[in-house]
Amino acid sequence: MQKLMSFAPDYILYILKGGIKFYAWLGFLAIFIAFALYGFYLQNTEGLIVTGLTSQIHDGLYFANLVFLVGVAAGAVTIVFPAYVYHHKAMHEVTVLGEMLAMTAVIMVMLFVFAHMGRPDRLWHMIPYLGIYNMPGSMLAWDVLVLNVYLMLNMVCGFYFLYVKYSGGEINKKFFMPLIYISIVWALSIHTVTAFLISTLPARPMWHHSMMPIRFIMTAFAAGPCLIILVFLIIRKNTKLWIQDEAINLLSLIITWCLGIALFLTLSEIVVELYARTEHANGLYYLMFGLHGLTKLVPWFWGSLIAMLIAFVMFLIPSLRTNYKLLPIACVLGFGGIWVEKGMGLVVPGFIPTPIGEVTEYYPTMIEIMMTLGCWAIGFFILTLLLKGAIGILLGEVKYTGVKTGKSNITSGGKAAAYEAR
Amino acid sequence: MKKFALNTVILAFCCAMIPAAFSAEEVVCFESRKGASEVTKRDLQPGLPNVKCSPKTGAVLWWGDPFDGTVPLGDTPLLGHIPHGKAVVKPRSEQLAILPMCGTACHNGVGPAFVPPTLPKGKKPVPIPTMEGLLPDAQNLQHGRGGIWCLDCHHATQRNKLVDNFGDPVSFDEPQRLCGKCHGDKLRDWRDGIHGKRIGEWASTGKKRWFVCTECHNPHNVQDGARNRGFMQVAPETPPQLPKGMKNMNHERVHGVSQH
Amino acid sequence: MTQNPIPLDDPSSEHPPECQVQPEPKNSPEVDSRRDFLKTSAASILGAAALMTQSDDAQANIEWAEHFQGNYRLMTEQEKIEARARLEKRYSAEYGKAVTVDGTPAKEGVLLGYALNIRKCIGCRRCVKACVQENNQSRGQETGQTIEWIQVMKMARGEFSKEKMNEGYPEGLGIQVGGNAYSPAGVVLEGEYHYQPEAVPEKDSTYMPIACMQCEKPPCVKVCPVRTTYREPDGVVVIDYNWCIGCRMCMSACPYWARRINLTTPVLPKEEMNPKTHYLGNRPRMRGVVEKCTWCVQRNRVGRYPACVEVCPVGARKFGNLLDPESEVSLILARKNVFRLKAELNTFPKFFYFFD
Repeated sequence: MQKLMSFAPDYILYILKGGIKFYAWLGFLAIFIAFALYGFYLQNTEGLIVTGLTSQIHDGLYFANLVFLVGVAAGAVTIVFPAYVYHHKAMHEVTVLGEMLAMTAVIMVMLFVFAHMGRPDRLWHMIPYLGIYNMPGSMLAWDVLVLNVYLMLNMVCGFYFLYVKYSGGEINKKFFMPLIYISIVWALSIHTVTAFLISTLPARPMWHHSMMPIRFIMTAFAAGPCLIILVFLIIRKNTKLWIQDEAINLLSLIITWCLGIALFLTLSEIVVELYARTEHANGLYYLMFGLHGLTKLVPWFWGSLIAMLIAFVMFLIPSLRTNYKLLPIACVLGFGGIWVEKGMGLVVPGFIPTPIGEVTEYYPTMIEIMMTLGCWAIGFFILTLLLKGAIGILLGEVKYTGVKTGKSNITSGGKAAAYEAR
Repeated sequence: MKKFALNTVILAFCCAMIPAAFSAEEVVCFESRKGASEVTKRDLQPGLPNVKCSPKTGAVLWWGDPFDGTVPLGDTPLLGHIPHGKAVVKPRSEQLAILPMCGTACHNGVGPAFVPPTLPKGKKPVPIPTMEGLLPDAQNLQHGRGGIWCLDCHHATQRNKLVDNFGDPVSFDEPQRLCGKCHGDKLRDWRDGIHGKRIGEWASTGKKRWFVCTECHNPHNVQDGARNRGFMQVAPETPPQLPKGMKNMNHERVHGVSQH
Repeated sequence: MTQNPIPLDDPSSEHPPECQVQPEPKNSPEVDSRRDFLKTSAASILGAAALMTQSDDAQANIEWAEHFQGNYRLMTEQEKIEARARLEKRYSAEYGKAVTVDGTPAKEGVLLGYALNIRKCIGCRRCVKACVQENNQSRGQETGQTIEWIQVMKMARGEFSKEKMNEGYPEGLGIQVGGNAYSPAGVVLEGEYHYQPEAVPEKDSTYMPIACMQCEKPPCVKVCPVRTTYREPDGVVVIDYNWCIGCRMCMSACPYWARRINLTTPVLPKEEMNPKTHYLGNRPRMRGVVEKCTWCVQRNRVGRYPACVEVCPVGARKFGNLLDPESEVSLILARKNVFRLKAELNTFPKFFYFFD
């Protein structure tokens, strides 16, 4: 009990001790967070008219980002799965970092949901018994369920692991392993359900095909690990935690396969839709070549395709894949390419044209862009804090020593363990 | 002198304002086509206007009371099953202001040249300045493409009535009894509510205001302008608002559908 | 000429099933007009009182109660009456006139249907504007502030030309894809909605208005996470505006683009506001909620045609009870050639297009 009581204060105290770089980074993020808060305020007073949304294109940046981030959250399974099912030693050491990322990503999804909804103040309408919860009919209801459970699974698994490490105990496998296995399967389910959200709508022919869940999972397992590799490389550089090469190489391998399959699926979609060039292909045609002279998204599509192709080639060639100077470039290209492909390449063209054929374009406003950046900033803020705490515990710098006062539980005062200037 | 001039100016100004204050602008709009069934907007109750008019085209957009100004429909063949008072129409006779005069002033079937009443030889209307002025679109009647003439529809002696095949008068308020003689399929559909227009209650036993033939169609002018399908061209209402970010919707015309 | 006010049905009365599907209006005209007079005057007194005595506390209480009210369908009769009374107070204060929020339920033995004669439509858009006059949509000047529930699609009659004959491909062994391949004729998915000619109908075009089809198997109802949009017993698909969370799943699911989102607080000038409203129909909405055509539920529940049916100058629109064999809609289904849009999606719309 004593251990439990001092876990949170020790954790928080450790997080708060940081160097200049650390606080500079948080300060930088805080600027964007302020924008996000202002944006939330505007949207809840003036309404969504401050965004570029219309009745024709009514899901824009917010929905695109939330779909993408569900994928990133699911991508954390690429760490958990090898670690616990294949007993990959290197991965095993850093699993909890993956869980922290998953948690952050789900929190970001929820932020974007708040930004996306017309009336976030009425979300209580979804709570069963207080309101009406449309199960099993509504895919959105399923999505809410799976996301919340995934968040809870990761919180329980992640913090339990950290607490056990902190208190120097043994993990209770009977309690822990079932949760881990469930979370592995659940990670697949969150992105599948999100894919079902849009692929079960015959009104949107661009989305209405069975390939959507596969495509989501593949791009998730490519984008998620890209971000994870980047985070790992940053952790290597700025903290004392050394993440093994094997872990990073395994992630690169996973990215290679998944990015390859995702590109193959893109090719498949292009061939199938454009071979017969029916009116159902209008959304894809708009994306690739423009419709009636409206070509706003065409450069985004081709840019993301080229980025993904270059990333794929870089990942494919082992000498490039294991070159840790080039790996970040490949990761950024992969992550960015998939982000564009999900956002501009999937969500927005689904509404162009409308189901009755009206062709309009989407022009996100500055407020919308700042809100999006702000929500990402909140995510990175949380991620930074969570990772810092997790790393501290993994390194053994936050350990329960049986003494009441919290400060002595932190062996090296935050500076050494924090993001130091080299 | 100056004071006198100033006072005069003020007085003149006030006098100019008075007629302006009195002539409240009357809003008149048309129900189906311009020139037929026009309505003046007024309040039935405070806050409930009888009609709402379109600012762009002057057409009626909305009726506060669909039965305002109506009378029961007369006996129509095949409409006998409708209880009295459930079918009402807007009477037209009153609006044809000169109608009472037609039967008395010029054509009363009485007079030296009309005993017994005879029809012009050749069954062609004689161009008379009065008639030409009254009904310019009846020259060279195209209704029936030369197959019918005036007295096929208008009563020979009671000129304020239409006529049926038995020579009996038909009121201007019930043109369907006349029109339906030739346009039987339209009459059948009109009787069932499929053709034409009815406003009021949707129940089949409900009260409805029926729009009679001449409220939408002009029998004297079936070829007016760039006519399309029996109904004259009208000015359309405004298009939907431009969606956000779109400067115009010209790309919609890329098919070449609209050549203007 | 007697002035016959629109009969307002007693919301709490039961209608016994009869052979004739539609019950006659029960009361004599004098009683009707008396009751209407009392209702209107009571409402206006209430409205005036609300206007005069709207204290800040009362205002806050009403907003609080409205914010936390439950789902309309699950309320008891008393709660429904209270909810509507709250709204009447709010609207009357906001718009400065006596606003009524009706709650008349669906009648037994009624399944409403709609038929539109596409041969007659001339594309004048009066249905669009009449709907706006009746249903209190937002109508501001800024982009995104104007909402219209009906869209009129203009279609080409067919533009085949000699010049395009040689634009086919590929060459050699005959042209496989003709040059006239993508020339529109009839219904095309890339429709023209913003046409603005001097006069309609244009010689080269036909027109087809599209609004909510009131499907029997509505995809929008299926996806709503809070079941705020639902199908009423008489077939109309409605939305409880106070329950909608604005997630817009229904808008993604509708194959007919029938639903609109209020991007901001609706702009509705006081003079243009139609004070006769229904809880599920044309009462003024709020920001962030979805709205759509309800076949003028405030009118059809008291027996009157929707506004679009009444205004159509060529009589292309027909409305009635599909279960009544004498109604014009049933007769159209019996006699005319009828089709539905996107029938392959199994939404089973009750909006039929026909031609004669």
